[in-house]
Amino acid sequence: MITGALYQNYLTLLLDGDRRACAQIVQQLLDDDIAIQTLYHDLFQKSMYEVGRLWEFNRISVAKEHLVTAITEGLLNLVYPRLFEKASVDSRNEKKVVISCAANEFHQVGGKMVADIFELNGWDSQFLGANTPVDQMLAHIQEEKPDLVGLSVSVYFNMPALRSGIEAIRGNFLHLDILVGGQAFNWGGTEIIKQYSGTAYVPSLDRLTPLISA
Amino acid sequence: MMYETREQAVYAYVTRQSQDLFFVLSRDGRILQANESARTLTKCLENVTTFSDLVVDFASTFNLTGLFQTPEVPHLLNIKTTTGLPQSYDFYFEQVQHLVLAFGRLDAREITHMQKQLLSLNQELNNLTRRLHKQNAELARLNWEKNQFLGMAAHDLRKPIGLILTYCEFLQDEAARDLNTEHQKFLSTIHNRSLFMKHLVDDFLDVSAIEAGRFDLDLQPVDIPNVLSTSLEINRLQARKKGVILQVDMEACPKPVFIDAAKIEQAVTNLVSNAIDYSRKGDTVRVRFFPQQDHLVFSVEDNGPGMSRQDREKLFTPFSRTRTKKTAGEKSTGLGLMITHKIITAHNGTLHVNSTPDRGTTITVTLPLINQFDTPKE
Repeated sequence: MITGALYQNYLTLLLDGDRRACAQIVQQLLDDDIAIQTLYHDLFQKSMYEVGRLWEFNRISVAKEHLVTAITEGLLNLVYPRLFEKASVDSRNEKKVVISCAANEFHQVGGKMVADIFELNGWDSQFLGANTPVDQMLAHIQEEKPDLVGLSVSVYFNMPALRSGIEAIRGNFLHLDILVGGQAFNWGGTEIIKQYSGTAYVPSLDRLTPLISA
Repeated sequence: MMYETREQAVYAYVTRQSQDLFFVLSRDGRILQANESARTLTKCLENVTTFSDLVVDFASTFNLTGLFQTPEVPHLLNIKTTTGLPQSYDFYFEQVQHLVLAFGRLDAREITHMQKQLLSLNQELNNLTRRLHKQNAELARLNWEKNQFLGMAAHDLRKPIGLILTYCEFLQDEAARDLNTEHQKFLSTIHNRSLFMKHLVDDFLDVSAIEAGRFDLDLQPVDIPNVLSTSLEINRLQARKKGVILQVDMEACPKPVFIDAAKIEQAVTNLVSNAIDYSRKGDTVRVRFFPQQDHLVFSVEDNGPGMSRQDREKLFTPFSRTRTKKTAGEKSTGLGLMITHKIITAHNGTLHVNSTPDRGTTITVTLPLINQFDTPKE
C-alpha cells in the first residue's frame, strides 16, 4: 500500500536526487511484499508522469529530469530478482512480446516497465531499449516472431516517429497486433492511432494487465 | 534595477548571474575580485587568494604570465572546485592597464555530448542488468528441473544396482567354486563397478537434495567419539588393504552433541577415505579429535601429493577434479567433498583446507558444541 504521504516523500527525495533514500523506500516496500504492479503503477509511473509534467511546464531542467529517470531505472533493478523469480515460477503462456521505444525516443523507463508487466503475466518480453532504429526493430521482429509488439513514446514531438514505426510494422507484418502507450499521449494522438488496424492505445500500466492476462 | 549604461548592466550580469567564471587579477596572479559563480564554485578569496592555486597543475608547468600574452587564444585549465571534482574551463585573459581580467567558459557542447553518452551507457547497463536477471531466473528454473531429473534418475537406478550387487555377492559366495579364475575376476569387476555406481547414485541423490534445498538434518543427542569410531572402521579396512597407517588420536567429549549422526559419519568417512586415497603404501594418515572451548575439532592429515591454490579453490565445487591423481587410481565421483562441505556447514561448522604441493594436506573441521535448543542453519 502506497499512502499519499509516502508517495510525496518519495517524490521529494527523487527530485532532490537522493538515490539512496529512494532505494530504501523501494526496498522497504519490497520487503513488505508489495504487489509489483502496485509499485510500478502507484510509485514509479505516478512519479515519472509528475516529473515529466514538471519538465513539460519548465518547472525542472532537462538535467534534473534525466537524473530522476536514471534513479528510477536503477530502482527497477531492485525489483528484478523478485520479478523474474516470480515470473519463472508462475505459469508461462508461451507468448512473446517485443517492446521498443520509438526512434529518437530516449526515454525508455516506461517501455521497460511495460515489458516487466508482460513478464508478470506469463509472457516472454524482449525489451529493445531507447531510440531503436526502425530497421533494427523490424529485423528483431522478423527473427523473434512475437505475438505482439509494444511501442512506447514519452515525448509528444516523437509522435511522427511512432507513426513511422507503426506503418513499418504494418507494412511488413500485416497481422501482428500492436499496443502503443506513453506519456506523450497526454498531449493527444489517440485519434491518430485509431487509423491503424490491429493497433490499440493503452493509457496506463494498470490498464495493461486486463488486456494481456487472458 | 536600472543601469546608466549598457556596460554597467553587462558588468552586473557577469558579476552576479553568469555561470561563467570571472576574476580580476593583479599581474602577479593574486585574485583581487571574483564573480558570484567563481566564489561559490572555488571558495576563492576565502581559502585561495592566488589564481595558480585554483589550477590543477600535475606537471608544475603552469605559467600565468605566459597566458596573458595570447588573449585571443582559449586556454584549457582544470579548476579545483568545492565538490572535490575538478572542472575544465576555457580561459581567456585580457590585460587592462595594470590588471588582468580572466574569463572562464564551460564547453556546453562537450558537456551535452558527455551527458548524452552517459545516459545512453546507463540505459545500456540497466538493460543488460535486466537481461542478466531474466537469464538468472531462467537458469535457476533449469537447474531446478535438472535436479528433479537427477533425483528421479538416481532414485530409479538405486534399486537395479542394489539387485546387481546382491546377486553378484550371492554368486561370489555360492558359485565361486564352480567358476574358473578368469570368471571369478569378471565377477569381482562387476561387483567393484556396481559398488562404485551405487556410491555415484547415492552422491547424486545427496547433491540433488542439497541443490533443491531439501537437505534436512535429523538432529539427535550423540556421543560423538562413538560416531567417529564407527566411521573409522570402514576407513581402517581401506587403509589396511592399501598398506597405509591410520593413526587415530581421540579425546573424550564433555557432553552429548546434537548432530545428524549418519551424515557426520558420511562426512568423516569421506574425508579420511580421501586422505587414504592420496597416500602411498607406508604413509601415515593422522586423525585427531578433541574439544576446544565451545567447539569440537576434527582433523585429517596426510603426507600425500598436496594441492595447489587453484585446486584448493575448486575443491568443493561439484564434479571438479584436482590435477593430483589418487595413488592407486581409485575412482571418484567428484561430489564427495561438496557433500561433506554441505554436511559440515549445515551443522554450523567450518571446514578448512591447508595443503602444500608435495608436502600433504590437512583438513580441519570444527563443529559447535550446540545445545538442544539451538537449531542449526541450513
